[in-house]
Amino acid sequence: MKTFLMTGVLLALSGAGAVKVGVLLPLSGAGSVSGQAARSGYGLALDEINRAGGVLGKPLELEFADDGSAPAKAVPEFVKLVTVEKVDFMAGGVSSATSIAISGPAKQYGTFMAWIGAAAVPVEDAFADHPYFFHYHPWSYYNFEAILGYFRYLKTYKKAKNIAIAYEDGPFGSAGIDATVAAFKKAGFNVVMTEKFKTGSGNFGPLVSKAKAAKPDILYWVGYDTDALPLATEVKQQNLQLGLLYGTPPSWPVGFEKNKLSDNVAGLSLWLSSSPNKESRAFVAAYRKKYGTVTDEYFAPLAYVNLKTLAAAINAAGSTDKARVAAELAKTNVPTPFGPLTFTPSLKTKYQGFKAGNWLHFQYLGDARVPVFPIKFAQQPMVYGR
Amino acid sequence: MELFAQTLVNGLLQSGLYALVASGLALAVGVVGIVNFAHGEYLMIGAFLAWAGSALLGLDPLLSLPVIAVAVYGVGALTYRVSIRHVLLAPELNQMLLTFGLGILLQNLALMLLGGNTRTVSTPYQASSLQLGELSVGGPKALAFGLAAALLGALYGVLYRTTLGRQMRAVAQNRRGAQLIGINVDRVYLIAFSVSCALAAVAGVLVSVLLFASPTVGLVFALKAFAIIVMAGLGNLTGVLWASVLLGVSEALVQTYVPGGGGWSDAVFFLMIFGTLVLRSFRGAR
Repeated sequence: MKTFLMTGVLLALSGAGAVKVGVLLPLSGAGSVSGQAARSGYGLALDEINRAGGVLGKPLELEFADDGSAPAKAVPEFVKLVTVEKVDFMAGGVSSATSIAISGPAKQYGTFMAWIGAAAVPVEDAFADHPYFFHYHPWSYYNFEAILGYFRYLKTYKKAKNIAIAYEDGPFGSAGIDATVAAFKKAGFNVVMTEKFKTGSGNFGPLVSKAKAAKPDILYWVGYDTDALPLATEVKQQNLQLGLLYGTPPSWPVGFEKNKLSDNVAGLSLWLSSSPNKESRAFVAAYRKKYGTVTDEYFAPLAYVNLKTLAAAINAAGSTDKARVAAELAKTNVPTPFGPLTFTPSLKTKYQGFKAGNWLHFQYLGDARVPVFPIKFAQQPMVYGR
Repeated sequence: MELFAQTLVNGLLQSGLYALVASGLALAVGVVGIVNFAHGEYLMIGAFLAWAGSALLGLDPLLSLPVIAVAVYGVGALTYRVSIRHVLLAPELNQMLLTFGLGILLQNLALMLLGGNTRTVSTPYQASSLQLGELSVGGPKALAFGLAAALLGALYGVLYRTTLGRQMRAVAQNRRGAQLIGINVDRVYLIAFSVSCALAAVAGVLVSVLLFASPTVGLVFALKAFAIIVMAGLGNLTGVLWASVLLGVSEALVQTYVPGGGGWSDAVFFLMIFGTLVLRSFRGAR
C-alpha cells in the first residue's frame, strides 16, 4: 500500500497524465520576434489556465520547440514533439514555409493543430483536407483585403496612384504576388515595380534604386522584421521620396520605434496595446503584471487566445479525444483582444478564426505605433508624404 | 545610365562589408592554414557587443569599435589556446569539424543568453549619405569600404614591412622551416588567428549599424567571405578586395537587371565559387 501511494505521489509530482501541448515556434531566425512574442503569450495563458485548475483536472503542460524559422529544422522538431514527447495537441506555428514543411507529418500522424500563424495560401492548400486544423490568423487574402481597403482610401484622399512592391522570395512574400498585382491593377493602381528580395540579406541598395527610377507613391513591402531597418535606411540614404512606406512583417524589430528611421513607416497589425476593448486592456494588464512590460506584437495575444480557447475546448470535451475537442473548439464564440472569435470556413479550410475585419493599420509616430486606419479607430491623423 | 551608375555604386559599397569579413578569413586560412567555419560567429559577437554598448551604455558603435576589436582579439586568443592549436596537425576534416562545432556552440550560446530577437542600434549617421548629382553614396557603407581598404592596406603593410609579417609569411610557407630558423610558430598562429577574429568583429560592428545583431547574422557574411577567398585564391590577401568588389557589383547588377534578381542574388556567390574552381582546374590541367 505504502509503495502504491508513493508511486502515486511520484507520478503526480512528475506531472504524469498531464495534458501536453507541443508548441512549435521560431524562437530564432527570421521570424524570431513573432516567435518570442508568442512564447510570452503562451506563458501568460498557461499560468492562468493552471491557476484555474488546469485541464481535465490536471495541469496543462507546454513543450516548446524552436523551428529556427527554417523548414529543415521544423520537420524533425515537429516529429519529435508528436512521436517522442507524445504531445496531445500541437499549437504555435508562425512561418508559412515551416508550416508547409510540417503539413506532411501532421497529416501522417493525424495531429491536432491549433495554428496561430502561416498566412500564405499554399498552407491553406496543404491543410485543406486535414480534419483537425484550426487556423487563427487570417489568410493572406484577408490581409490583402484590409490593405487594399486602406490603399483605396489613400487613392481617393491622397491621390496615391503608383505602387512599388518589394516581396521576400519565400512563400510568405511570393505565394500571392500575381494575385496581389492583379488586384491592385483592378483597383485602378499602377504597379510600377515588382521586386523580389532575400529576407535577412539587408542588401536593399539596388531594389531602392529601381524603386526610385519608378517614382512610386507607395512602397509596399512584404518581408520579415529583419528587413525593416535596412530598407528604411536605404530609402532615406537614396532619398527616395514616397507618400508612404508600408510593410506587412508579422512582427517589427525590437526597439524599431526608437529609431528615427521608423518615423512615418506604416504597417498592418491585428492588435495594438492601445486597442481599447475590454479583453485587450485585461490582456495588457496581465501581461504587464507577469513580464513587467508591454508588447505591441500581436502574436503575444494571439498565442494567449490560442491556448485559452484550446484549453476551454479540452475541458468542454471532457477528454483529449481529438474529434470531441475539435467539435468543442469549433463552437468557440468568445470575446478576445482582437474582437469576437468564432470558427467559420475559409475558401479551403473548415475552421478559420480571424478574418479581414480584424486588421488595423498603424504608423510609427513619436516612438509608438499609432492606429491610423480604419478612420474610426485612428488615434492620430496619418502622415502621408515626406 | 543613372540607374546603372547607382547600381555600380551600390555594389561597390556593399563590397566593403564583404571585404572586411573576408580579410580576416583570408588571414586565418593563409597563415594558420585553418578554414574557420566559426568566422561568422566572431562577426556576430562584434555586432552584439556594439549593440550592447549602445543599448546599455549609450556608446556609439563606431566609438566602441577599437575596444570591441581588442575584446574579440582576446576571445580569438582564448579560442586558439583552448581549441584551435590542438588540431593544427590533425587531418583537415578534424579541423573543419572543430570550427564548425565552435560556430554552432557560439551561435547557441548567443541564443541562450540573448534570445533569438534581432537587435538594432540607432545612430544619427545611420541614414547619412553623400549626394553626387543624382547618385547617393550611403555614409556607413562608404565608411565600411574605406575601413576595409585601410585595414587591408595595414595588413598588407604588416605582412610585407614588419618582422612579424615576415614571420607570418614564413610560417605560412613552411611551418617546419620557420620553426628551424627560430620563429615561435605557436605565437605567430595565435596572433594571426586572433587578428582574424578581431577583423570579423570590426565587420560585425558595422553590420550592427547597417543591419542588425542576431545570433545568425554572421552566416550570410561568412558564406560570402568563403566565396571571396576562393575567388582571390586561398590566403591571398591582396586579392580579397578585388574579389569583394567583383562579388558586390555582380550581385547589384543581378538584382537590378535580371528579372526577379533579388531572389537570384544569393546564387551569385555560388556561381562564382563554381566558376573559379572550374577555371582553376582548367588552368591546372593545362
